[in-house]
Amino acid sequence: MSEEEKQESVLKRLGRSAKEFLYGMAGHDMTRFALKTRGSMEHLFILITMGDLLGIPILPPYYSLRLLPYVVPQISTWKRRMLRERDLTDALA
Amino acid sequence: MFTILVLILAAAGVAIGYGLYARTIDKNIIQPDPKKATPAKMYMDGVDFTPASKNVLFGYQFKSIAALGPITGPIIAVQWGWLPAIVWIILGTFFIGWVQDYGSMMMGVRRDGDTMGALSYKLISPRARNILMLFLYFYLLLIMGAFGIAVGKTLMTNTKVPFGMISVVLMGILAGQMTYKWKRDIILTTIVTVVLTFVGIWLSTQPFMANIFSALYGFHKVEDKVVSPTWFLGNTQAQVIGTLLVVIFCYLGSVLPIWSFAQPVNYVSFWIVSFGVLGGILGMLIWRPGIGDFPAFTTFTTASGPLWPMLFVTIACGAVSGWHSLVSTSGTARQLEKETDALPVGGGAMFLEMVFATVAFMTATVAWGSFKGYQDAGGAAAALAVFSKGLANFLSHIGVPQDFGTAYGSVFLTIMALTIMQLAVRFMRVASAELLGDAVPAMKNVHVGTIVALLLTLLFVWVIPWLTIWAAFGAANQLMAGLALMLVSLWLMSEGRKNAWTLYPSIFMIVTTIAALLFLAYTNFKKLATPNITTQAFLASLLVGIIALVLVVAAAVLIADGWKALRKPRAKEAVEKV
Repeated sequence: MSEEEKQESVLKRLGRSAKEFLYGMAGHDMTRFALKTRGSMEHLFILITMGDLLGIPILPPYYSLRLLPYVVPQISTWKRRMLRERDLTDALA
Repeated sequence: MFTILVLILAAAGVAIGYGLYARTIDKNIIQPDPKKATPAKMYMDGVDFTPASKNVLFGYQFKSIAALGPITGPIIAVQWGWLPAIVWIILGTFFIGWVQDYGSMMMGVRRDGDTMGALSYKLISPRARNILMLFLYFYLLLIMGAFGIAVGKTLMTNTKVPFGMISVVLMGILAGQMTYKWKRDIILTTIVTVVLTFVGIWLSTQPFMANIFSALYGFHKVEDKVVSPTWFLGNTQAQVIGTLLVVIFCYLGSVLPIWSFAQPVNYVSFWIVSFGVLGGILGMLIWRPGIGDFPAFTTFTTASGPLWPMLFVTIACGAVSGWHSLVSTSGTARQLEKETDALPVGGGAMFLEMVFATVAFMTATVAWGSFKGYQDAGGAAAALAVFSKGLANFLSHIGVPQDFGTAYGSVFLTIMALTIMQLAVRFMRVASAELLGDAVPAMKNVHVGTIVALLLTLLFVWVIPWLTIWAAFGAANQLMAGLALMLVSLWLMSEGRKNAWTLYPSIFMIVTTIAALLFLAYTNFKKLATPNITTQAFLASLLVGIIALVLVVAAAVLIADGWKALRKPRAKEAVEKV
């Protein structure tokens, strides 16, 4: 790698770090709240389709079968969220 | 010259503190392993546990810990002289501040991303968690009271400020609509809302706008002085209306969907505050003022009390703050991608806050060049006015008109305080629903919980004097830091690692803050016996005295349980050896 390229990569790295720092201060909170909202929606979504996921005691209606492929990838993260013990200090951040 | 000297001192503090001391602790005691899976990876749930880059987290951590504390504390503390204030800012961060932030973050990482509540339950005792919750509720109430007085009774009573604050709120709401409803580009949204906010701040300085608020506040001339009529408990019409405006803001922040109000208002505020900080630093570097005849040391006992313990609770966030341990464990520890990121994120953000506090210290000292100048600007009793006028002095050296600079500085402080206040009300609402919801079902209602929290806030704001509530808030905050450090010491001991670097700071903080709380309780209960005491002074002294004692008792129980827990692993070791 030439000296010029090295310098450029250092500058690029610095630029990227500054950009990420700015994003962390300005927008990361917003992203986290959006994720939290999505998480709550997923909880409802999985709750609606839970009976059909288990398959008993009723035959899954057509719409639930259509939804199942979207639910399955969320099950592992949903389980983690649901099973984790929480207290008030969770609400602080 | 003095400005440059202080900045060099702060830079040396960062270089030695972060570059040498912190790195040595990190390398030899904590020994982070970049290959070890962090909770963010192990328990990734796409919500709380999600890995993020260290630069993003550095910004997130800094923004979460830097509010009104690092600004107000140093400005009040220079009443003891500039030397004790700057020494505590630098040495406090060096030996205690970063230790607490980094220690609690690593504890969270190594203990599966547990929060302070869960950690105190597991490391101290089951009842420790309940006591911590009670402690936190009072702590947040004190934050609300201290920030409420600062904003509602000081900043908002300046007729050139309220419209600026209203502009930030309106532009925040617009930013929320543009981002989430109209799906506009974030850069366009930012430019439109930030520019319009600055226009709003400019409008707020115009005579026609100031006159509207002057009429609302009932300002009139009495012997060449402009005054607002006194309504009740010594509060003027301007102060009552100012605090009600703050309460309305907090109510909306607590009950409205977070995307439509709290979050976009915080986003717009971030830019307003950032431009102010950058402009202030630039102006200060161009001006490079000297200290003049500002004394290095004034007297041991000031209006806030004796230097020890009161100085150490007056400057909280700029040196060490318990709030940081909550952010570090509940927020950042769950997002670290690698263990090795904890030092630059936790330690680095704290050292940056030290620099921020140093800049605030400058606005109270070099911006005036004399102790008289500082006192004429309001002194410790009007710390926020000192900051806004000091910032305006710095900004004037980059061409910003003094009048606009003062209003801008005031709006800047107002929104910094309100950002934390709306979060605190939300938390208090959740806490009251959780703690009292079964006994009083009404507390589960969002509006009831919020109104109860805000009524308690109003009681504090209208009754307690500024310097007293700031000292009580600082003591609670620092006690939280001492307890967090005790938890970190327990965790280190349970892992068989050296803990002197956290245990001694913990002892210092606990002893100092309990002394401060006992001092507050003693002086306030003593005031109750004063003949012809006013209703306001009586209520204020009673409230502060009781809260100080409750905090001391809560801390004593936690310390007693902590001490038992500290001895337990040793006893276990002895049994194992036999």
